[in-house]
Amino acid sequence: MVGSYAMPGWLERLKTEYFARRISRHDLDEIYDAAAKAAIKDQEIAGLDIVTDGEPRRDNMVDYFVERLPGVQIDRSSKKFYYDFYDSVVQGKLPMASLGLVPDFNFLQTFTERQTKICITGPHCLSKRIRNQYYPSEEALATDIAKVMNLELKALVKAGAKYIQIDEPYYSGFPEDLPWCVKVLNTMVEGVDAKIAVHICYGNRYGKPSWEGSYRYLFPTIMEAKVHQLTLEFARRGGEDLDLFKEFNTNFELGVGVIDVKTDDIETPEMVADRIQKALKVLPPERIFILPDCGLFHLSRDVAFAKLKAMVEGTRIVRKELGK
Amino acid sequence: MIVKLNHLQGKAAATSAQDVIGTVYTLLEEGHIEKAQFARLQIELDWIQYKQNFREVVIATQGYNERGQQVPIMDVHVDTRQVVPGCLRAALLRALARSTPGAPQEQDRLPLEQFQSMRTSIVWEFNKLYWSRLHDWELATGKGYEQALPGGQSDGHNPEAIADSVADFWTLLRDLESKNQLPPEIYLLEIGVGTGTRCGMWLTKFRTVDQERGTDYYPRLRVLLGDYSLATLDMSKPAVEDHADLCSFLVLDALNPLKTLSFLRHKIMQVHTTNVYDNLPDEEVVRRDGKLYFVQVRAYLPMADVAALSNEFEIPPDKLRSTVSRLLSGSTDFLGDAERGVAFWMQLWNAIRLEERLVLVEDLPDFPFPQGLDAGKVEDILKEAPSDFRFHLSSGALASFLNTLPLLHPRGYLQVQDIFVTDLDQYRLGFYGPGKLDGSLLNWVNGALLKEVAERAGYNVRFAPFTYRKGSRTSVLYTTRRE
Repeated sequence: MVGSYAMPGWLERLKTEYFARRISRHDLDEIYDAAAKAAIKDQEIAGLDIVTDGEPRRDNMVDYFVERLPGVQIDRSSKKFYYDFYDSVVQGKLPMASLGLVPDFNFLQTFTERQTKICITGPHCLSKRIRNQYYPSEEALATDIAKVMNLELKALVKAGAKYIQIDEPYYSGFPEDLPWCVKVLNTMVEGVDAKIAVHICYGNRYGKPSWEGSYRYLFPTIMEAKVHQLTLEFARRGGEDLDLFKEFNTNFELGVGVIDVKTDDIETPEMVADRIQKALKVLPPERIFILPDCGLFHLSRDVAFAKLKAMVEGTRIVRKELGK
Repeated sequence: MIVKLNHLQGKAAATSAQDVIGTVYTLLEEGHIEKAQFARLQIELDWIQYKQNFREVVIATQGYNERGQQVPIMDVHVDTRQVVPGCLRAALLRALARSTPGAPQEQDRLPLEQFQSMRTSIVWEFNKLYWSRLHDWELATGKGYEQALPGGQSDGHNPEAIADSVADFWTLLRDLESKNQLPPEIYLLEIGVGTGTRCGMWLTKFRTVDQERGTDYYPRLRVLLGDYSLATLDMSKPAVEDHADLCSFLVLDALNPLKTLSFLRHKIMQVHTTNVYDNLPDEEVVRRDGKLYFVQVRAYLPMADVAALSNEFEIPPDKLRSTVSRLLSGSTDFLGDAERGVAFWMQLWNAIRLEERLVLVEDLPDFPFPQGLDAGKVEDILKEAPSDFRFHLSSGALASFLNTLPLLHPRGYLQVQDIFVTDLDQYRLGFYGPGKLDGSLLNWVNGALLKEVAERAGYNVRFAPFTYRKGSRTSVLYTTRRE
């Protein structure tokens, strides 16, 4: 999985009830635990090798981190619907402190014996959402966020995390930022002893893309990133950009998006297999990871589960063809 | 008794309010209205936007539970525009008598269907017939359909409005190009093409602007003209003849453009539609005393009209229903010749009325809400709404809206020019349809509802009054991406 699993309608309503002060934080936390266990179980039943907690605790990919970033002030009245973004602002230097993500990871480890992955929204994305009233530039703000997050990543590794994904969807909207984004990314992962993936898509806000274009803008700058894997969307956009991995000689693994998360149409295993085969034309199997294009947050549970099953079945077809 | 006068604000017919109150009191004193019934009576003095509509001068709308038993709620609607001196007493008595338990129901009218949601009523089949046989209707009236519009022509053709629309679109393309994000093919979609005039004018203006500024966007345009009527599509072709190389014509259901155009998901830069949402199937809900009631309707013909149609077209009254079915199957020459068939159709349509009843929504979560709505969303929306009011669910408009948004490019937008209720509070001040416009049906669109639903789908919606023609009641809905 890229990160999130389907967000059930009942959970959306309960989240909004919490913001309306109609249920307690304690009750909400219990609901989150139950939803996370269900998401983990669904991934296991679908047959995924690597699972996440489905991220039911996150209102969206920004606020979960903005709330935890020390030194960032948020206006709690600024949300009408739980999925809205908080109005957030930074007015002083960010202090170095924990984001408190280790309990999420421990929870995941407790409820699965599969390999796990934890996903963290990256500094570039967060710096685009936090109003900056202190730092001289977005880059300076993002660099300090990266330093705080570096501590968090090390804490996660200490807790046992072996595979961490950094989500940076805003790269595609602001390709001109990429040179400093890579520096910030390297600050974030410095000395972190785990497999690091960077997920770069074209946005999935409200289940629709925020930008369009080609991944060509990533190259060659992204090759300076000290990460192990790029996780990109190919199902919705087609596989044309796969050729970039032939054109540029990178050492990255490639997380290949083979499930379109912006439509309810469920892929057949054969479609998935075909998409994987296209990726195999540019990279060897040991460098390819199979994933959906992005999080499954906006899909119904039935659709999300069926898509994951198709992804697993499609992967099995290819593995069989490869004799694995 | 509650009497609502708000709808008469600024209308000459306000004087009839005194007549209504006086007549109701007289009926109470004479024992025609029971005291218990009187206490719960709510009388709305309406001014129907469209003079040609589905209402008799007085209708009484009785409440029922889901098991068909009467509940003590009754709305009486008086169309003050139709009130003539001396008619009120008889009309009120007739309407109230129909709501008395056990009263004979069918003596003064010929029902054409069972009570049901307006969304599925037979009246929409008449609407469909009109658009598929538009030429026959226009031949009979000697007028093009646009001449029936207020102002005698579509606001969609206004040259200033078109120039502003072109300028906005060109600016968007320029901005995308500056970021190297302009796709090689630039898709535009018009849903409901009308005569094609707006599209033709828009393209001509765009070509001029593009040439003046030397940007060469015009040849990259791919313009899709979509309409569910093949006849209308054919009619629109001459208007875009100058731009034929850029245009494609598609039979498309306005309720679900995505079904036809799924290959263009997230690719269309601009979707435009004028006076389409007001012509899509709709239904209404009443909120009263903290409860929701669904409005069911039944189309009927008053007996006087049954007699007139029967005499004039030599159709026995007991054959009238089957004759209507034959008409709606699409044939207008079933009475011997097409001209006579159209004359029957026109007279029939003019005579059709809708009666109503309110059905208590007892199980909100399982209520068959239209696409985009569910119990939770409706409850959220109603939190800020008036406590006693009647509103449109705008089912067809909602479906069309939600099935169009996924077509938009991330920077693309939807423009809808129509008659919108832009704030739920406006329902306090007026009853908004439905009305008849020539052979078609139109209804105000609950823009406030669209706005709420759009927010959950990732779009902000704003409404701008159409200022290009004095007195225009239309406004323009614009979407922008919600972050």
